[in-house]
Amino acid sequence: MLKNVQDYYYPGSLAEASELHDRESRSFFIAGGTALALSESSRPVELIDLGKLELDGLEVDEDRNRIEIGSTTKIQRIVNDNEIGSVLGGYLSESLEKIGSYPVRNAGTLGGSLVRPFPWSDVIPILSVLDTTVSYYHRDGEGRRDLASLYNSDFRSMLNRSIIKDISISLPESGETAAKFIKFSRSEFDVSALNLACRLTVERGVINEARLSIGARPMTGDRITDLEKELVGEKLTEDLAETAGVSAADLAELGGDDRLSEEYRKVLVKKMTAEALMDIKKEVANES
Amino acid sequence: MKVEFVLNGKEVEFDVDPGKVLLDLLRESGHKSVKAGCKTGDCGACMVLVDGRAMTSCTLYAAQVDGQDVKTVEGLEDELADRLKESLLEAGAVQCGFCIPGVLISAYSLLSKVENPSRDEIKAALDGNLCRCTGYVKQIDAIKETAKSLGGS
Repeated sequence: MLKNVQDYYYPGSLAEASELHDRESRSFFIAGGTALALSESSRPVELIDLGKLELDGLEVDEDRNRIEIGSTTKIQRIVNDNEIGSVLGGYLSESLEKIGSYPVRNAGTLGGSLVRPFPWSDVIPILSVLDTTVSYYHRDGEGRRDLASLYNSDFRSMLNRSIIKDISISLPESGETAAKFIKFSRSEFDVSALNLACRLTVERGVINEARLSIGARPMTGDRITDLEKELVGEKLTEDLAETAGVSAADLAELGGDDRLSEEYRKVLVKKMTAEALMDIKKEVANES
Repeated sequence: MKVEFVLNGKEVEFDVDPGKVLLDLLRESGHKSVKAGCKTGDCGACMVLVDGRAMTSCTLYAAQVDGQDVKTVEGLEDELADRLKESLLEAGAVQCGFCIPGVLISAYSLLSKVENPSRDEIKAALDGNLCRCTGYVKQIDAIKETAKSLGGS
C-alpha cells in the first residue's frame, strides 16, 4: 500500500476534483484502487476519490450501434451485463473476464485501467481493436479522443491531470465482424505475459477490415498496423492465418526478458495470431 | 478522518488514518474472520462483501467504503450462510480453515445471485480464493450441495 497518504477527499463535482488535484502535485485520483493498492510509493500524499461522482454506468443504445461505459464502472459489472454479452459475439464480456480474478474485477474500473496503463494491461489491446473513444475532463477544458491517440506525447501531461468520464465504443454494423482476445499468463489470474486482440470484418470470405493489437510485449499494447494493411483484401484461410502469424512475429516490437524471453514471445505471437484468425473465421462462418 | 458505513447491518463510524486499509480497520475492530494473508489481493483470505460484491479488503482503503454496505462472515447469519457453513464441514472442505471465511464470502455472493450455479460458475466465483489444504473439489461440492438443499437442482 501507499506509504504516505495524509489526506483523502470526496469531491462533489468534477470541477472540485480537478481543482483538488491541481492544488497538490502529489495527489492522485482513486476509483477502484487496484493500481494504488499494489504500489508502495511514498509519493502520493492525497487521494481524491471519484467514487461519489456518479461516473459509473453502462448503456447499449437502442440501435445497438454504440456502448457507453462510465469510467468508474466496475469491470465485473460489464462482464455480467447481458446486453454487453450479446453484442459482437460476446467479445467484450469474454475478454474482460480474463482480467485478474473475480474480486479484482469487482474493484477495478475501465477508467483506472486506461488512465494509468500498466505494460501488461489487457484493457488496452481489448479496446484498441474496437472503435473506442475516451472522454476526459479537466477544469480548463474537456474533450474526447480516440483511444489510439490517448497516449500521444502531446496529450500525456493533459491525461495525467484529467479525469476520464466515459468510454464509448462504436459497434460495427455488419454481422460479419468478429473479435477475439487471447491472453498468456503464468497462472490463471497472474497478469499477462503476452496478450493479443484481433478484430476482422469479413465479407464473402475476404477480409475488408483488420485490427490486431499486442500487449505485454512487455511494453504496453500497440497495434500492428503494417500487418493490418497486409490482411485487407486477403481471403481468410488457414494458410493466411499461418502466414499472418509469421508476419506478426516479425513486425511486433517485442522485448525481453520480463516474465518471458523475447524469443519465446515471438513464438507465442506467431501461434496466438494464427489462433485468433482461425477462431474469427469459425465465428464468422457460424454467423453467416 | 471520519468514515461512516454500514457494517454487518449496523451503522458505524470510525476515525481512521487516510492510508489505512479496510482489512486492518476490520481486524482492529474485532472482525477476526477477515484474515491477513498475502496483502496484495491475490489470496482472498481477507474477502468481504461491499454492496454485495466480493472484494479483497487488503486492497481497499477504509475510506473507499464510506457510505457503503460492508459484510464480513460475522454478519452472515441467514439460512444461506448457515447451510454453506454446514455443507463445507460435511464435505470435508475445511482443513486449516484460513481460507474458509473468504470462500464463504465468495460462495455467499454467488448463491445470492445465482440459485443453481454450474460447477464452472462456482469455479469462476472462487477464482480469487487460494486454498493450500484440501483444494477446491470439496469446496465446489459443498457449494453445489448448498444450492441443492436450498431448492436448486
